[in-house]
Amino acid sequence: MTGMRISNEKSVGTSVLPDEARPLLDGEARFLNDISFPGMYHVAFLRSQYAHARLRNVDVGKARELPGVIKVLTGADLFGKVDPFRSMPNRFSGGESVQHWLAVEKVRFCGEAICAVVAEDRATAEDAIELIEVDYDPLPVITDAREGEKDGSPLVHDTCPNNYLIRRDYKRGPVDEAFETAHLTVKRSFSIGRKQALCLEGRGCVAAFRKDGFELSVWMSHQLPYVVRHYLAKHLGMAETEIRVVAPQTGGGFGQKASIYPEEFVCTYLARMLRRPVKWVEDRFENMVASTHAREQDIEVELALDKDGRILALRSDVWVDVGAYSTYLWSAGMEPLQTGGLMPGPYKVPAFQYSTRGVATNKTPVGPYRAVGRPSASASLELLLNEAARKLGMDAAEIRMRNMIRQEDMPYRNANNLVHDNVGYMPCLQMALSKASYDALRAEQGKPSPNGKLRGIGVACFAELTGLGTSTAVGPGTLLQPGRDAVTLRLETSGVLTIAAALPSQGQRIATAMRQVAADETGIALEDISCLTNDTGMAPYGFGTFASRTAVFGSGAVIQAATELRRRILALAAFLLDEPEDRLAIVNSVVQTVDRSKTLTLRDMAEHSFFSAKDIPMELNQGFEVTAFYDPKHGSFAAGAHVVVVDVDPDTGAVEIVRYVAAEDVGRLINPAVVEGQIIGGIAQGVGEALLEELIYDEQGQPRTVTLADYLVPSALEVPRIELHHANTPSGALGGFKGCGEGSIIGALGGIACAVSDALAQRGGDIHEFPATPERVLRGLGVDFGDD
Amino acid sequence: MAREKAIEVTVNGITHRKTVSVRTSLADFLRDHLYLTGTHIGCEHGVCGACTVSVNGKAVRSCLMLAVQADAKQITTIEGLRDENGEWNEMQKAFFENFALQCGYCTPGFLTSAIELLRENPDPSEAEIREYLSGNICRCSGYQAIIDAVQAAAAATRAQRQA
Amino acid sequence: MKAPWFEYYAPATLDEALKMLGDADLDGRVLAGGQSLMPMLNLRVADPAMLVDINGIPGLDGIEENADTLSVGALVRHADILNSPAVRARWPLLAEAVTQVAHPAIRNRGTVCGSVAHNDPAAEAPSILATLDGTVIIASAEGRRELPAEEFSQGMLSTALEPGEMVVGLRYRRPPEGTGSGFVEFARRLGDFAIAGAAALLTMRDGVCERARLTILGMGDGPVRACEAEDMLTGKTLANGAAREAFEAAAAAVKAAVDPAEDVHATSGYRRHLTGVMTIRALEKALARAGGGE
Repeated sequence: MTGMRISNEKSVGTSVLPDEARPLLDGEARFLNDISFPGMYHVAFLRSQYAHARLRNVDVGKARELPGVIKVLTGADLFGKVDPFRSMPNRFSGGESVQHWLAVEKVRFCGEAICAVVAEDRATAEDAIELIEVDYDPLPVITDAREGEKDGSPLVHDTCPNNYLIRRDYKRGPVDEAFETAHLTVKRSFSIGRKQALCLEGRGCVAAFRKDGFELSVWMSHQLPYVVRHYLAKHLGMAETEIRVVAPQTGGGFGQKASIYPEEFVCTYLARMLRRPVKWVEDRFENMVASTHAREQDIEVELALDKDGRILALRSDVWVDVGAYSTYLWSAGMEPLQTGGLMPGPYKVPAFQYSTRGVATNKTPVGPYRAVGRPSASASLELLLNEAARKLGMDAAEIRMRNMIRQEDMPYRNANNLVHDNVGYMPCLQMALSKASYDALRAEQGKPSPNGKLRGIGVACFAELTGLGTSTAVGPGTLLQPGRDAVTLRLETSGVLTIAAALPSQGQRIATAMRQVAADETGIALEDISCLTNDTGMAPYGFGTFASRTAVFGSGAVIQAATELRRRILALAAFLLDEPEDRLAIVNSVVQTVDRSKTLTLRDMAEHSFFSAKDIPMELNQGFEVTAFYDPKHGSFAAGAHVVVVDVDPDTGAVEIVRYVAAEDVGRLINPAVVEGQIIGGIAQGVGEALLEELIYDEQGQPRTVTLADYLVPSALEVPRIELHHANTPSGALGGFKGCGEGSIIGALGGIACAVSDALAQRGGDIHEFPATPERVLRGLGVDFGDD
Repeated sequence: MAREKAIEVTVNGITHRKTVSVRTSLADFLRDHLYLTGTHIGCEHGVCGACTVSVNGKAVRSCLMLAVQADAKQITTIEGLRDENGEWNEMQKAFFENFALQCGYCTPGFLTSAIELLRENPDPSEAEIREYLSGNICRCSGYQAIIDAVQAAAAATRAQRQA
Repeated sequence: MKAPWFEYYAPATLDEALKMLGDADLDGRVLAGGQSLMPMLNLRVADPAMLVDINGIPGLDGIEENADTLSVGALVRHADILNSPAVRARWPLLAEAVTQVAHPAIRNRGTVCGSVAHNDPAAEAPSILATLDGTVIIASAEGRRELPAEEFSQGMLSTALEPGEMVVGLRYRRPPEGTGSGFVEFARRLGDFAIAGAAALLTMRDGVCERARLTILGMGDGPVRACEAEDMLTGKTLANGAAREAFEAAAAAVKAAVDPAEDVHATSGYRRHLTGVMTIRALEKALARAGGGE
């Protein structure tokens, strides 16, 4: 390390107030729909009313004649002109499946885009949509994964037998022997409904084409601007350098804005064709049917245990209804592979087997969403552990402790081939139990309830792989193998620092976090540092924000770039101050000697080096702009343990969460308040997943939940106060950071599911289907509704 | 057969005269005609609460009101919340200091609802805040920081009144 | 989504509004609070040719209490009901039910008459009107008529309103002395439309139920008066722990009488089960408020 580090007041680890939030509080932040240009046209899409049908004829004549309509584009107009989205077949999947930007010949789910209408305003475009006449020839519909995989079922894609978009069978260790010789085997089924991210802001894009500067400028509500740029170039046949992609303020992402969808690409095509800016903003109905869904799984899971409750083997079968298409870039493997492969979580599993399938159905495609695949994997195993514990006469917490990967076991390679290190599973569990006064909760549970409610206590522990480097595969069939990101640090002519990175924020305060890391690493005062995170025209290459990776990658790259930047600053300052470098330090944007006898502000140094550099030797004035890539190679495990207490009303089936204690290990904290917001926000979405949110289809594949009155997300009344505690173990990544955006939703589903099941067990009941709607809860208690 | 109508609307203290299509919602009018894009549209069917603005001192869903119905009305949007000295009001301050927003898309609606709550009830309990704000959906925060912010704003407002 | 085209008029007088509504060629629809109509327009599931906005008409926003009745005008918002000292003091059933209507910003705008005229089976206002032996005051260019709530409701989103007519007011009848009321509903979240609910009035004298009113909401056809259950309760002794058995019998009668629809939130069977639970809870509340029947 060059130069002495005189300790600044550390910024990392403190809840620095996020300046980036200020415009949001003034209504001045610029979201996608807030961007407009003179002469801009508006786009609306005609969407399929059938889940599966052949398109006999699409008559757009009347729509074209409506005053104010500029253009009506059909699938036939695009056919052969743009490259459709193709899945990447591999040894785990069926053949290639193709998704056209606008349907050609067939539609495969309700909501699939058939035509795009361009008009002077959105309402007129929607008027024109109503004038398009589509002659559908309905085809047999598949709405269930286990039906769909049967031989002879109708095919969603002719190229994919048994409707498998993906299938994988995995086995490691002596599984069969374990089940044959085990003291106890337990088995249960688990299912979780279809849900969606429900970003409060839908998707959308503004595309502008102009033969000046960047030919195609695209503002898109998206998590991965650089990836979008690459694929736009590829599909439109343009050079990447001709395209600029900007992710403006984004109203939630949660993975739903990490995929590539047809609508935005159609808009870029239209902008280029019409030589006019065009805008499309997804409305809530479209968001319900045309943005990726998540979950919808059936799981059968089995454990073999010895007499002390130790796991000998874990075996599971997983069916995921992945919808009509292989989500572009991420594939249909997201949920199936992660649910199957990551089920062991924080527990030692010596032998492990799973079969997992992603089955195509005539529903909206399933794509990435917060903690892909893991909540159901974890919840199904946690519920099964409870069942095993009951049979062994053991407490639910005790069986978890007996199986947990402990510090002294690490590094520990589990049977799913993942290595656990630098992670505190036991400290999380112990903290959660002690903060919740678990023993007292159990004692109280044994007493008769004063209000007739059934009390249940759930304990769930999870492992969450974050910050995946290049050595960790995302999944077979995925077109992306992320794992490196760059950050540029640039000392401006006035001595302030700009951080540029393609790591857009959807509210995670990434700019603030990176400023904090940069302040500590460079010695530049926090208020002298600004951060750009969203513009391919200005930032170095980065994959973007997803998979609990951004803090790890951004910070790692900042640390590396800062090391070099500081070296350059101190080398020049040593020359200008005529002092040896090792007597200098940067403190609060000032280079100073240890005794502070000599000082040089970064402003003076920067101005000097940029504007009057003739007295500075060339080798000391190499510019103050440094780009560094960071690749942590492996991921870092984060962890958590949640203790949830619920009261179940045995008359109505209503579940009320009366207490929620969470202990989490998310590594070294950059900004604790921000981290807590991520964790609590994840738990809230887990409350929805466990109790409320479900996208429901009828047998004809018609979506029945297309408004926020039917699709129920938690309000302030359903989310309890979360008692959050930290049990952090630094990761092996630079800075010791881990990701924290996803893990808590895993613990929430598991914890709430276990608590509800525990409550029902008091009357000999149980529950296997989630979300735990009041009706399912009562059925779990054996209430007979008579006529159905 | 008038598809357009001239209206006069006072928004954040400024009176605007505009001719609007009769089918334009108040939310679209504020955003597209007055360029006050701080009011956000989240569902257009009155459930999410993001578009909530104050009309004649009452919180309403601007997606469920026509622009023509705002004729001669006084409207306050998020852009009009700063006080006469240009300072944030207590609710804005408290949201900032309590990390009560993440993506910020729901924030304009929450601010409007929370300000109305404190007008009706200067010292609400946590349960009262949760119930009152249950018509505003936040997908990021889990609500806890918002509840804390409203309590902080209530305390600050009460302290100011006593001073 | 954006609303389709319509003609828009904001008449200054009720006569003018009724004249417009009476012109069959105009196919007019009343716009009051708009909290049901506007979502339907934005979702393009309603497509009226003309909206007659009555918000500018004076004299429709009154809440008037007489010895026997409470009258509310066409522009009385749910929030006005909640904020009315008269309602809060003397019409507890109405006040209790309105707290369950959606959320503050919706209550600030939505009208009680509009909710009755829309007649969503899961809405609170129509069932409260039925429970309080209420009537609907209907006006047209031809004149006025007043219909009992039961006759006004004609099933899901359907009423006895003829073309050219509008609801200009509601009249609730004051229950006798000694009446206790209870309103309960079960929704997935507070403010959501009820899966099932019940409104009850019990008039007690010396431990005996003199009069019972019970209405079920959340069923497919709008508010359902549970007449059989009312008859079973009338004349029954409810004091000294006799209530539970009587209420359970009433609940069984209710469950046998209703024919609940199935939707994404509940099957028909679960909804029927809930009507029983809601019936008992509403009756228990009413009994407690009537002084426990002692």
